Amino acid sequence: MAMPLPTTWRIAWRNLWRNPRRTGLALAAIGLSVTLVLLYDGVLRWEADWMVDTITGPMLGHVQAHAREWRRTRSMDKTLRDVSKTVAALRADPDVAGVDARVYAPALAALGEEGFAVMVMGVDMDEAARPSRLLAGLAAPIGHRQVLMGNLLAAQMGVKPGDRIAVVGQGVDGSLANDLFTVVALLTTQVDMVNRQALVMPIGEAQDLFAMSDEAHELVIYGRDVDAAKTLAAHLQQLPALAGDEVLDWKAAEPGMNELVQLVEVMWVFILVLVFVAAAAGVANTALMSTFERTHEFGMLLALGTTPSRIVGMIVLESLALGATGALLGTTLGAALVAWAYRRGIDYAALTGGGPTSLSAFGLRWSLVIYPRLAFIDIVRVVAAVMVTSLVASVWPALRAARLQPARALRE
Amino acid sequence: MTENRQRGIFLGLAAIAAISAAALAQPAKPPDAETVLAYLDDLYRSKSSIARAEMIVTSPRSTRTMRLKAWTRGEDEALIVVEAPAREEGTSTLRVGPNLWNYLPRIARTIRVPPSMMLGSWMGTDFTNDDLVKESSLHKDFESRIDRRSDSPPGWWLGLTVKPGIVGRWARIDILISDDGWLPLQEHHFDRKGRLARTMVFDEVRMFGGRRVPAHLVLTPTDVEGQRTEMRYLELEFDAKIPDDTFSLSRLERSR
Repeated sequence: MAMPLPTTWRIAWRNLWRNPRRTGLALAAIGLSVTLVLLYDGVLRWEADWMVDTITGPMLGHVQAHAREWRRTRSMDKTLRDVSKTVAALRADPDVAGVDARVYAPALAALGEEGFAVMVMGVDMDEAARPSRLLAGLAAPIGHRQVLMGNLLAAQMGVKPGDRIAVVGQGVDGSLANDLFTVVALLTTQVDMVNRQALVMPIGEAQDLFAMSDEAHELVIYGRDVDAAKTLAAHLQQLPALAGDEVLDWKAAEPGMNELVQLVEVMWVFILVLVFVAAAAGVANTALMSTFERTHEFGMLLALGTTPSRIVGMIVLESLALGATGALLGTTLGAALVAWAYRRGIDYAALTGGGPTSLSAFGLRWSLVIYPRLAFIDIVRVVAAVMVTSLVASVWPALRAARLQPARALRE
Repeated sequence: MTENRQRGIFLGLAAIAAISAAALAQPAKPPDAETVLAYLDDLYRSKSSIARAEMIVTSPRSTRTMRLKAWTRGEDEALIVVEAPAREEGTSTLRVGPNLWNYLPRIARTIRVPPSMMLGSWMGTDFTNDDLVKESSLHKDFESRIDRRSDSPPGWWLGLTVKPGIVGRWARIDILISDDGWLPLQEHHFDRKGRLARTMVFDEVRMFGGRRVPAHLVLTPTDVEGQRTEMRYLELEFDAKIPDDTFSLSRLERSR
């Protein structure tokens, strides 16, 4: 009764190419849907990484350590002690990719007589200059009594690179901290607070200015994988060097930012569902139409004695073959486009007619250059979806074809 | 024997009389609040004053002692020069009206304190820059009334409520003044949320230039454990002759 499957396969495949124009159109429709889904997937995957990187990269880090009470009081003297030893211990940990020890001190800065409220930040210059960190791309080293100044602060104070400014604050011991610094460069970072009110200097200079010994207010720690931040925080809390200190992953340190990421994620996944449904509808439509068009042909086959089950098998296999070929074409094109865009970056600003290349929101500057990327699971998901849709969309017309009255079908 | 007993009775009577006299002397009628406040505002100042004081700042981490010399004229002008420790010697603060300048001899710069830093610490003490500007003119910003009687120590609590439309750190200040000569004994400062933010305790009443004033005061902020600032007047001269150019920027930079 049932012919061997390979024969049905061959007939189905041959059938597809009996009408190259129809099949070509169907393949184009399916292929484009897959390409679109993959492009969107690529942007979505970039977006999730981009948000977390923008939040954690320059300022928060994956995990932070502070002396207890510092976050609440921001008191100068609530410091982590023996910082160089702790940093060395952290760097020796296989799960730690980088550590930036920081000092934060409110101070008064003045070019002339007018004083301005500023935040002095002492940072580990080498660490902070690494890609996607606070001072990413910083070229020249910062020397003794030299500082970087936030660009907006500089504009407000009327400071140009090369100017000498006075910095006055209070040392950890309560003594008066004051010295002159040369502004070597203006800073444009991803963090608004830094651009608006920071003076950034090497941590050693800051410790010196504020009469601190080997201490810091914050350790910004980067792990190998930002998704494992919580595990890393729990692990680091166990280190003897951080015993008694407060160790938090970035989500715990900034719950608001975490909520923002989740909110945006839900929104994008919602759009992904819409794109997916639209693509599936396209695939289903193609499969349906190519079956309905051939009522006459199926009537002929039935009249010649082909069994209904064989017709069902043939139609379903045709549809699957069509779907698989379309998915292959779409995946190839989609993956190639994503790879190309990943290398080049899509300048969103150029797409919107040369607007700003970054957007300021939630205290951060968000780059608008898109670098889409794909995971293998994205491809598996979209191919599986095409196959399932092709199958489901062909079963009903196939069953209908199998039940045709040959005589009536022939007349159509 | 009899003599002794008589003396004993006499002493007893004398004691009773003294106690009654004290009870009678206790003011039944509270003093006028505005008058007391004007008196307090003027207490350490008069038309002009020159003072030398010692400040001890205690924090959980360290204790620091400073010696200061201060000149004041009227309500609006003051100059404070740090005399010790050596590291900060010559550092000065000039106040003229609402403006505050710091002179830093180590870097030879004069810097005006911006409004956003007025609530910041003055020279690492628990006093704020704002205190230097506001403390001597409570009557400008606050409505005052006699709030309640205090029995121990005997005196009156003066209640100060910030006038509507005044922007400042304190919503209410309670001042305990003594019966003998309206000297301040305690001050409680409440912030805009009604929380007790700091207390000041005055003691060691001494005579300076014919005035009785508490020479020692301790300022304790309530939110930081182990933190306080003590100030002790060593010298205080009232209605002193002060050169006209004392409260000027050029004088500030010569203060070393």
